[in-house]
Amino acid sequence: MSFFRVMKAEVVRSFIIMRRYWFRTLTGMVIGYGMLMVLIAGFIYSKGGAGDKISQFDNPAAATNFVLGFIIGMFAFGVVGMFTQGLQSMATTGVLEQLCMSPHGLAVNFMAQTMVGAVSTIISSGILVYAVTWSVGGMLHWDMFPILILLTLTFFNLVGFGFMVGGLVLVFKQVGQIAIIVRMALFALAVFAREEILNQPWPLRFFLHMLPITDATISIKYVLSGGQMVDKITESGETIQVFSSVFTHPSFYWLIVSCIVWTVVGLTVFRILEDYSRSKGTLGSY
Amino acid sequence: MSEEVLVELRHVHKKFTTRHVLPVDEETRKRRLFKKRDVHAANDISFTIRRGEIFGLLGPNGAGKTTAVKMISGLVRPDSGTVFVNGLDVEKKRRQILRLVGVVLEGTRTSLWPLTPLENLIYYGTLKDVPGALLRPRAHDLLDFIGLKDKKNIQVRRLSRGQKQKLAICIALIADPQVLLLDEPTTGLDVLSGRAIKDKVMEMTREQGRSVLVTTHDMHVAQELCDRIAIINNGEMITCRRTDELLDLFSEQVFVFKLNQSVDPTEFSLIPGIISAQMEESSEGPSLVVQVVREPETLRSEALYAVPSRLWQSGCLLHAVSQRQQNLESVFLHLTDSAVKR
Ligand SMILES: Nc1ncnc2c1ncn2[C@@H]1O[C@H](COP(=O)(O)OP(=O)(O)OP(=O)(O)O)[C@@H](O)[C@H]1O
Ligand SMILES: [Mg+2]
Repeated sequence: MSFFRVMKAEVVRSFIIMRRYWFRTLTGMVIGYGMLMVLIAGFIYSKGGAGDKISQFDNPAAATNFVLGFIIGMFAFGVVGMFTQGLQSMATTGVLEQLCMSPHGLAVNFMAQTMVGAVSTIISSGILVYAVTWSVGGMLHWDMFPILILLTLTFFNLVGFGFMVGGLVLVFKQVGQIAIIVRMALFALAVFAREEILNQPWPLRFFLHMLPITDATISIKYVLSGGQMVDKITESGETIQVFSSVFTHPSFYWLIVSCIVWTVVGLTVFRILEDYSRSKGTLGSY
Repeated sequence: MSEEVLVELRHVHKKFTTRHVLPVDEETRKRRLFKKRDVHAANDISFTIRRGEIFGLLGPNGAGKTTAVKMISGLVRPDSGTVFVNGLDVEKKRRQILRLVGVVLEGTRTSLWPLTPLENLIYYGTLKDVPGALLRPRAHDLLDFIGLKDKKNIQVRRLSRGQKQKLAICIALIADPQVLLLDEPTTGLDVLSGRAIKDKVMEMTREQGRSVLVTTHDMHVAQELCDRIAIINNGEMITCRRTDELLDLFSEQVFVFKLNQSVDPTEFSLIPGIISAQMEESSEGPSLVVQVVREPETLRSEALYAVPSRLWQSGCLLHAVSQRQQNLESVFLHLTDSAVKR
């Protein structure tokens, strides 16, 4: 299987680099933790007076939500970045041309690289999420099976989107700068995505659904932070919480739809633009 | 050398559109930032490379040599015309062809700098589907052969330019390709390594039946190494011949008449059958250098008789007559120069 050969090469390569630059990997995580704590402190203290502050700590769900959003945002930022920054730096170093000449093709190679990158990102952000939620006294509902499904879908969603942006970067090198803005927007969206933001007139709502990160974040937050519980009003008028699996949540279906759409669109656009880039001869220029 | 053709370019055209940055227009005070202009990187290029042959592609900077290499390796798509490798159309069967072709482009920009040469070879070898059992021994062999034996485990970023170039050649060879495309392979190499690479290329081509395309600015390398040579300029093919033919073609035509005094060369260039005539001053005195037509034989002979009789008439002493030995460098200069004038 050609994909696994490429995957193997990429695993070996990134493992070597991670080991060789272990100090960078380690400090990266420590800095990430520090930054998150500062941000959370800012987030909590900016909300109202001292009274509120106490209650925030009594009920740290908001902080947990925020942390999750932040980390999903970083994940999105990273995955799309692998296609834009990664591609640009590969074009600069000339490695891109070599990869274009690998018989497996550029798309397969990128897929493998991103997957390897994503696995290490997921592991390190998992550790980060855990450390931070523990620090703020929150609680996470690790329901492994749905989490893995959601992460996989989110990943392919972002990869599809990344392929589209990456294809544009191949042809128009300046797009790389715009891509940073797009990545920031995805990041912000992940931090603030809640079910309430979908209460919009339908064109805007549809647009939000189609962005690769909205429903992904909502579903993941629903599982990890909300514990897949919904409010339900009983006959006697009380509000109780009942379990409702994420697989019945509308965001989950939207996630599947946008995942399929982005994978198809992304790969198609990438193929076309790779071809166009070959006819313009911009594969090796920078 | 067998007659089997491994690489063929058939009427290939490639035009690049470049943007020129313009200065402010003085009269209208308007500023048009860019002006588009077309550059012909390949204009009806056709040639073939047979199995077991070393083919040289020469030309001044910007002639389109790298573009030709990239078209064979599928990195640049021709506008029209077709490139075949081993009988397969590069546009249609790109994946298959990439397994047959090894390429050295700008050597220092090929390898992954955080990795060591050995790791680089393993990485690229895996990508090129080299079977695992063969990969490691072959990587070691290549590095030993090329003289990176004691650099195997040093990060590439710490290697010198020439060492990176050597590594790039190893990377091109790791998949044991049928067709080897070397874009300026000896740039930055020391004398010994340049020699070693030349020898290795010869050995690989002759004994193992590969095809090699070399582009170079080093005429000595080309003259020694290549069986056939194509010279291109501004994307146009000027000539494509066997190396010895190319040298013969020009050596027969140039004659040097050593004289005791200068004469007016224009008078001689009017003689029928003489292409050009000029005076050259050297430490041994002036000499008249004439180039005569190759054919027809009678015209050529008449022209050659005419020169000494004219010299006799003008009362000039003739010390010696000789035929100029051509090397590739002067042929190249002559051909590219006349192409510019045309
Ligand atoms: N991607 C590109 N976009 C626009 N123009 C290009 C591109 N690639 C090459 N060219 C132009 O095509 C021409 C041929 O370039 P090429 O790199 O093939 O020259 P070369 O013969 O390899 O020169 P050198 O000896 O300097 O390496 C040049 O005029 C160059 O400006
Ligand atoms: Mg070149």
